[in-house]
Amino acid sequence: MKNRKKGVILWLLIVALLLVAALACSSPAGEEESVQAAMRDAVLHDINRISLFGIKDVNPGLISAFSVTGILIIVSVLIRILVIPRFTYIPGRFQLLLETLVGAFDGMAKENSPHRNKGLGLYIFTAGVYIFASTIFELFGLQAVTTEGISIALPAPLSDVNAAIALGCLSYLFIVCGGIMQNGLTGVGRALKEFSLPISMSFRLFGALLSGLLVTELVYYYITLSFVLPVVIGVLFTLLHALIQSYVLTMLTALYYGEVTEPVIKKGKNHEA
Amino acid sequence: MGIPLNIDWQQILLHLMNFAILAGALYFLLYKPVKDFMDKRQAHYQELDDEAKKKIAEADALKASYEDQLAKARDAIAAERAQAAKDNKEAADRQLAEAKKQADRIIAEARAEAERDNERLLHDSQDAMKELVAAATERLMMKNDDKAIDLFLDSVEKKQKKEQEAGA
Repeated sequence: MKNRKKGVILWLLIVALLLVAALACSSPAGEEESVQAAMRDAVLHDINRISLFGIKDVNPGLISAFSVTGILIIVSVLIRILVIPRFTYIPGRFQLLLETLVGAFDGMAKENSPHRNKGLGLYIFTAGVYIFASTIFELFGLQAVTTEGISIALPAPLSDVNAAIALGCLSYLFIVCGGIMQNGLTGVGRALKEFSLPISMSFRLFGALLSGLLVTELVYYYITLSFVLPVVIGVLFTLLHALIQSYVLTMLTALYYGEVTEPVIKKGKNHEA
Repeated sequence: MGIPLNIDWQQILLHLMNFAILAGALYFLLYKPVKDFMDKRQAHYQELDDEAKKKIAEADALKASYEDQLAKARDAIAAERAQAAKDNKEAADRQLAEAKKQADRIIAEARAEAERDNERLLHDSQDAMKELVAAATERLMMKNDDKAIDLFLDSVEKKQKKEQEAGA
């Protein structure tokens, strides 16, 4: 019970800290660019910006991210209230789906990081669900109004480079933290050895999701391509990306986490063995 | 100079905060309850499994005990059977000897009786023979007397005929 309270307090503290940091941090003074092409805007998001409660103009990706989180939380609350109390030892279809989802990420964490996996299961579960849901989110085409009064369809959050960097860096930080907690300085050393990991993780996500977005944008740009083709494109670049990217990031995180949290075997002992 | 690719640290932090909120919410609303339930079910089935294993072990022990008892019973039955066969053989031999003895006695008695009958028959036949001989002799004698008379009568008759013929 005490641990649970501690966990809640820590979680609220992290959320509050990140909010304060986000509000305190001023946006960079980006120079005005005359971007005309829709492709460029899809990559840079510097024309179509959306006001975040009148505080700041942000990329549509951030609004998408908040929307995805909101939807996921509402769905989770409904599941928690309506489904989980009715769980039975012989599961129904939906229960089986939930158990498979949780069990798959938990199993992945235990399999790839057998020495230390407390927290890893939750992290890759959240990351997996977030990447999957946020990629699928693009398909619904929820509309938002930009600061210039133009209505746009909200993109996948991870097609915004900021979201991809946030997730990539967070995964790296999580790996570093695991290394420190398990092996101290040796763990840090192991994690720092993979210094390119945050960049590769971030840009892998960004590139994958952005490519999907660009292809979709291209297809929708021309009216002649807007028949039948979007179905194929939607499946190829959205559903498959959703699955593949969820798997790739969670797998990589679990793999590197397992690597840095492996117990250090002293050479002398190794020779004796 | 702005950061390339429109990277905005404030937005990155907002994304991180968004992810932290999501992680916390998913942990309390979905991940933990589902995992707790799965653990509970696993513990339940583990308990059932342990119980079943314990029962199997008990059943095995019981089976071994019963098999032991069965083997002992089989040995006892075999011993009883052997004893019964031995007793049967002895009884049969005894009965056979007795029957033989009885048969010998019967034969001896029969033989004695036969001898007695033989003697009696011999005696009787001798008596009968004596009587027959006497009767035959008597008859023979009687028969011879009739013949003599007949002969006499015949001779007389013949004489009378001769005399008559002669007279004629």
